[in-house]
Amino acid sequence: MGDASNPDWTSQWQAAARPWLDAWKDFAQGAAAPAAPARPEGFEQWARLFTGAGPQGETIERMVDAAKNQAAFMQSMLGALSAAPGGGTNWAEALRGSLAKPAMFDHPMAQVWRDGGEQARQFLARFMRVPDMPATPAAATDAWGAMFDLPAFGPMREHQERYQRSGRAWLEYRKQLDRYNKLMLDAAQRGFAHFERKLADREQPGRQIESLRALYDLWVDAAEEGYAEVALSPEFRAAYGDLVNAQMRVRAQMQGEVERMSRELGMPTRSEVNSIGQRLQALRREVRADGTAAQLAGEVAALRRQVADLKAAQAAASRATVTQAQRADDEADAAQETVLRKEASPRKRPSPARAERKPAAKTARRDAPASAAGDFASRIGKYAESSLGASRSKPAKKAAATKGTAAAKGKAAARGKAAVTKGKAAPGKRASRRTDKGNA
Amino acid sequence: MMDALRIEPAKAFEEMMTTQRKLAAALDTLRQVEDVDFGVTAKDAIYREDKLVVYRFRGEKKPTARVPILIVYALVNRPYMVDLQDDRSLVKNLLARGEDVYLIDWGYPDGADRWLTLDDYINGYIDRSVDAVARHCGVDRINLLGICQGGAFSLCYAATHGEKLKNLITMVTPVDFHTPENMLSHWVQDMDVDLFVDTLGNVPADLMNQGYLMLKPVRLNQQKYIGLVDILDDKAELENFLRMEKWIFDSPDQAGEAFRQFIKDFYQGNKLVNGGLKIGPNEVHLGDIDMPVLNIFAEQDHLVPPSASRVLGEHVGTDDYTAVAFRGGHIGIYVSGRAQREVPSAIHDWLAARS
Repeated sequence: MGDASNPDWTSQWQAAARPWLDAWKDFAQGAAAPAAPARPEGFEQWARLFTGAGPQGETIERMVDAAKNQAAFMQSMLGALSAAPGGGTNWAEALRGSLAKPAMFDHPMAQVWRDGGEQARQFLARFMRVPDMPATPAAATDAWGAMFDLPAFGPMREHQERYQRSGRAWLEYRKQLDRYNKLMLDAAQRGFAHFERKLADREQPGRQIESLRALYDLWVDAAEEGYAEVALSPEFRAAYGDLVNAQMRVRAQMQGEVERMSRELGMPTRSEVNSIGQRLQALRREVRADGTAAQLAGEVAALRRQVADLKAAQAAASRATVTQAQRADDEADAAQETVLRKEASPRKRPSPARAERKPAAKTARRDAPASAAGDFASRIGKYAESSLGASRSKPAKKAAATKGTAAAKGKAAARGKAAVTKGKAAPGKRASRRTDKGNA
Repeated sequence: MMDALRIEPAKAFEEMMTTQRKLAAALDTLRQVEDVDFGVTAKDAIYREDKLVVYRFRGEKKPTARVPILIVYALVNRPYMVDLQDDRSLVKNLLARGEDVYLIDWGYPDGADRWLTLDDYINGYIDRSVDAVARHCGVDRINLLGICQGGAFSLCYAATHGEKLKNLITMVTPVDFHTPENMLSHWVQDMDVDLFVDTLGNVPADLMNQGYLMLKPVRLNQQKYIGLVDILDDKAELENFLRMEKWIFDSPDQAGEAFRQFIKDFYQGNKLVNGGLKIGPNEVHLGDIDMPVLNIFAEQDHLVPPSASRVLGEHVGTDDYTAVAFRGGHIGIYVSGRAQREVPSAIHDWLAARS
């Protein structure tokens, strides 16, 4: 890190940029620009002072990089203009030479690819014991390509085959990186073609470019258009995929070597950590699934209880109807007794209320089997006989039913109903049996 | 071609000098600027699980909406973009309109999260977050607002857990991943994702970011910073720039297995549209989405092209589908002045009509 406490940044900046600015000044005053104008390296030197300076250090670095690129663009313009003061083809050619370079897309990703490749080369060279492994794919293929294809044998054959795979992976990666770079060159050239077209479109008075910034912005638009054409092409898609895959193969080979070395040294390896992580995640899923199953089981049990309660309540309701019918039956029996007595002494008329109940009793009887049909007198006789016997125990049963209802009142409604149902169930069943019996 | 240039040398020199002066002063200013803050609205954590936290935002007044909104953000960036700063906050604007806003913060996955799958994220984390919000509000169903990749997750969730949602809102959400201008999708078609994830494990955030920068390399790596020179004497503008810069590069790594499945099924297989998508035990059919859907997309989106989003209406099963085209980009839809005026009110009015 530079001296961050130094307050005179502006002076240092001006000193760093001085040679480059002087070249511009000379040009502005009408002098021909030098054949190789001072380059803006001063920016970079000066920017190094800020490395790691404060929380905005990264932003500063990016801005300085951008400024450097913009300055390089201006430099190209300056060089082109001075090379061909009369304009025309020479100017365009000079500019093309300066601008139509893949370096314009020298974004950090390309740097990642290159750095990764160089690291891999050094790493593999060390493992493969070929310290002078060439840096370019063509040279490496010439020098070592044959070696990577040699058959392996002897006690070290497995190691040799692994090294050979690593070497081949690296060569393939370098090949794909070259292919990618060629496409970047194509993008830069297309960008320049767009730039020329855009400039041609601005030749009319009123549309001309009057500032360096406007010119720079126009160039950026053109460069992006050229890049997009290439980046969306099938060739780029294939090249990009192959480059990524090739780099991953190199990395995988390197990881394999580190893993092997770690095992020999008794250190935990990436595979082991992965394995533990994978098992842990699977276990967590199982635990969660069990938890979910338990929760579902609880919900099902609760639903079952609710269904049972509902069924019981429904049964109670239907039994209550039967009991009502039975009560009506009983009353009808009593009425019939009265009728029989009236036949002996027909002085009193039945009350309207009782008269109304009669149809209910009849309705209840409609459910009786057809075998119950017979002549009225014998039916009445049999019914009166059985009813007289049954009616003697009714008050006690009704009291039991009432008790059951009262006991249930303080409890939950569903349970209360169940209690009532319980209390009323016996007479109902008996009544039913009795009816059957009576009808038999 | 030379006729297009009317740059006078003296003027050009002056321009260069001005730029250099600004740059020198700017660098000095930048050195003195402290780290910027973000996420302006007060919030309370209502649910935690692993690295995930569900927050409820606190507005200046009590929410009037009865059904809360849960924001599901993408895994690839931090969710504070929806509440970046006082005058650029989707959250704040929704709260001001009476909405009750919750948000899932996914956290920063590390090696322990390497094996999290989309099943874990969608049927696990999102589902439990939805339950937590519903419990917290005492409602049966909530509104889900999915953003970008979070929108794709929300579509999957809505198609398979629709009974828990009242309304679905998607913002800048990719649906058809194979539209011609989708550069990211184009690049990954020939990638061996299995090799990629097996080698890298979790996918490093820096690698993801470099991929995004490659979408427009000159504009995003150079021109943007040249433009910075123009605003360096404006402290508020400079802080806005730095806040955005922080958000862009403050990205989480991607859980390896989830990334593998997302690239394979969504980007390569385009299964959200083509069918055959399975998240855990659940088959995802967009036709099963029968709740009201509001789909907001950005017309100048370079990450999720509008063509990738606007087809949603053709695939969802609901009869109540609304699409809103926003004039702006993928980021502008949250932070631009136009976004502050248009997006929160579009969401609020749409929800109010369905409350």
